[in-house]
Amino acid sequence: MTEQGVGASLRRKEDARFLHGRGRYVGDIAPRGLLEVAFLRSPVAHARLTGIGKPEGAEERVFAAADLPEIGPIRANSALPGFRASDQPALATGKLRHVGEPIAACLAASRAEAEDLAAACRLDYEPLPAVADMLTARAPGTPLIHEHWPDNAFLETRRDEDLSDLDAVAAAKVVRRLRTARQSMAPLEGRGVLAEWDPRLEQLILTSSTQMPHVTKTGLAECLGLDEGQVRVIAPDVGGGFGYKGILLPEELVCAALAIRLGRPVRWLEDRLESLTAHANCREHHYIVTAWADAGGRLLGAEVDATVDAGAYSCYPFSACLEAAQIGSIFPGPYTLPRFRYRTVSACTNKPPILPYRGVARTGVCYAMETTLDALARKLGLSAEAVRLANLVPPEAMPYRNLVGKVFDSGDYPEAVRRAVAAVDVPRIRARQAAGECVGFGLSVFCEQGAHGTSVYHGWGIPFVPGYEQAQARFTPDGVLELRTGVHSHGQGLETTLAQVAHEVLGVDPARVRLVHGDTALTPYSTGTWGSRAMVMAGGAVAEACRLLGERAIAIGAALLQAEPGTATLRNGAVQAGEASISLDQIARTWFRHPQNLPRDVDKGGLEVTAGYRPDPDTGTHSYACHAVTVRIETETGLVTIEDYVVVEDGGRLVNPMIVDGQVLGGTAQGIGTALYEEMPFDAEGQPLAGTLADYLLPGATEVPSIRIDHMETPSPWTRFGQKGIGESGAIGPPAAIINAINDALAPLGAEVTDLPATPARLLAAIEAAR
Amino acid sequence: MTRRPITLTVNGRAETVLAEPRTHLADLLRGELLLTGTHIGCEHGVCGACTVEVDGAPARSCILHAGACEGSGIRTIEGFDADPVMAALREAFSAEHALQCGYCTPGMLVTARDIVLRLPEADEARVREELAGNLCRCTGYRGIVHAILRVLAERRAT
Repeated sequence: MTEQGVGASLRRKEDARFLHGRGRYVGDIAPRGLLEVAFLRSPVAHARLTGIGKPEGAEERVFAAADLPEIGPIRANSALPGFRASDQPALATGKLRHVGEPIAACLAASRAEAEDLAAACRLDYEPLPAVADMLTARAPGTPLIHEHWPDNAFLETRRDEDLSDLDAVAAAKVVRRLRTARQSMAPLEGRGVLAEWDPRLEQLILTSSTQMPHVTKTGLAECLGLDEGQVRVIAPDVGGGFGYKGILLPEELVCAALAIRLGRPVRWLEDRLESLTAHANCREHHYIVTAWADAGGRLLGAEVDATVDAGAYSCYPFSACLEAAQIGSIFPGPYTLPRFRYRTVSACTNKPPILPYRGVARTGVCYAMETTLDALARKLGLSAEAVRLANLVPPEAMPYRNLVGKVFDSGDYPEAVRRAVAAVDVPRIRARQAAGECVGFGLSVFCEQGAHGTSVYHGWGIPFVPGYEQAQARFTPDGVLELRTGVHSHGQGLETTLAQVAHEVLGVDPARVRLVHGDTALTPYSTGTWGSRAMVMAGGAVAEACRLLGERAIAIGAALLQAEPGTATLRNGAVQAGEASISLDQIARTWFRHPQNLPRDVDKGGLEVTAGYRPDPDTGTHSYACHAVTVRIETETGLVTIEDYVVVEDGGRLVNPMIVDGQVLGGTAQGIGTALYEEMPFDAEGQPLAGTLADYLLPGATEVPSIRIDHMETPSPWTRFGQKGIGESGAIGPPAAIINAINDALAPLGAEVTDLPATPARLLAAIEAAR
Repeated sequence: MTRRPITLTVNGRAETVLAEPRTHLADLLRGELLLTGTHIGCEHGVCGACTVEVDGAPARSCILHAGACEGSGIRTIEGFDADPVMAALREAFSAEHALQCGYCTPGMLVTARDIVLRLPEADEARVREELAGNLCRCTGYRGIVHAILRVLAERRAT
């Protein structure tokens, strides 16, 4: 490790512009002649749309589906057997399927005037009974959301294994019904789209706050009937993603079609009301878990019946089933579960279509598994730690393939638990409990699959399959190293960490490395920044491109130094042969400006390399963590205070430990929101009930404690530097650990919380029910 | 809707701009004056991304009518380049990794500067309480709190 290479907590190169307010987000870009869009959205969850009345005199400024026939439907089907296909119209046709569904685009010189226009439109519809509860969505007689389906479900998956003998042999059996709330991911910057048509290039230029510009480009081309050369997507600075911006948006299609139609720039900026209500789109799971264990806490088997509220449509590219269908494969978690039976349902409801949120299904699965393990521990009179240690995959079994075929690459899972417990004064918590204080201690253990690639995704059969990640490395004539990647940063600090990778390989000063990203015209194709993949995939690709670029530079340098080929080496940003040395700057200058000095057999590809990379195997890295939480509860008010929060985390080799800590801390804060605060309730008519950030509660600085992090660093044997994907990890463990701590505190009262978030009302209800 | 002239001082410069009565200050700053460092996160006064200084005190520009700012002195994130407290905060924010996507950062810095100047003896609990009106979705706040505490400590030491 050097002071600036892989492993260094290098300060972020991107900070300066943000600290001076010079970040450039979609909302900051306003070309001349800009028209702003306000969407007329569905006020009801389920209805037959019978007419749209445009305000008199403004007919030319209101566009409904019939006005934009050039937009094809969004199709995000999965090839999983039994998946039911559906179309998502960019603007509603025939039916309204959730509150907030776009119906028409209203254009004006300002957003306020566009909203005036939307308010003046008349909407005719015949209300239909809403399907607002995923658990009754398939009941006979329920109105069908997609009328060509037999019932309201996108997909059901099963694994059948007869567990009927376990009742007789198990020392303990527990059954738990558990629920997580529907959430809104709520990045501080909402979505935003600016569409322009360039008549010279005959190209649509779409600037969007997106995590996956290349996938958006493909989706736009498909739905608009353009070839991909006619579409350029730019993701400028993006104010937080978390999965919220990993989607092809109906609004993108509409703005694009309007810009092409009108020849004017068209912009839509999502406001918070739209974000909270039209796009409350994640996390809503329901579980019935049955688990059997022996007297030592060793799991004998588990059965899971899981339902995920997938909402009304299948989103592009991840589809409606990624969350529920994954539950089967990730439920065993970091444990050596011997027997397993499951059924998962992706229910279709009159709610916004589901998107994978940081941690994807793992946050719910971890919650279900870990609270069940604690229930077993309580029943058996064992400690939470003992039950974990009895079941975790031991380090000597790595790499380990579990009963559903997940392969864990490396690590010492039990050590993470031991370290977390050792970091907490558990005997003192027990003493306080004995003295009558309502305090509790809870654990969660989990692993996070990241950067899983082709071998995993082809099986889903969704609109994309990640392949070889590509990166370009090239020198400018003055010796600046330019990196071009299709992954894109929206807070992760890739401008810094990829420069560290380049420095590690080529020795170039990170200050002289520039990352070009977020523009499909300038970067190699990539599925984008999601699935904790950027540092593994783009890190590997940048390293490979730099290695190849270095070989070319060495060949030129050796010739200039009149050294034998093979005797020259690259060190500290210079090619060296014996005592002689020539800098990469000088080599770049020679290629571009003094080619007369180049050797005759020089590589004609020059100082510009595009390289592809994929780990082998590409089934994904598995980072893992143990969260250990201490809570105090006011039993009169139901208020929960987190007294202490410990995370022991193994992300393999950390490219920039400071940035990894930031990811873990930020993810954990979001998980605390999932555990205690964030909930988008819907009424029986499918109306969302939290329209402001005063109703939908995001954790603030007083709700998030000073989290203590301890790192283990077990390299992944499969990645370029041993790094593992870790961006989502923090958001997975908190609900499980916090609710386990709460239930530990409530145990003397005989009370138990099962539904998220554990609000004061839910705590008081649990305490009351136990009386 | 009728646009009326509003005269105010922004980052030390007198400006007269036309705005509808319903225009809020954040839109005026971002739209008419091209000061896009002030961000809009909720437009109902909860998230704090739009925090600017109005007549020396932090204010949420998304729930302040531009017309109500007639004659006021406004300072946005673009107006602190010569300010030593802001310079110290910027340095500390970077050192403590107090920002990721950068969207909350300008509002956070304006609030942080107010905390540092108004509450020189603030401890961690007080700093967290004072940050209650500024949401960050990326960092988990630790870096932000540490950065403010660092600047407070530096100032107490000199």
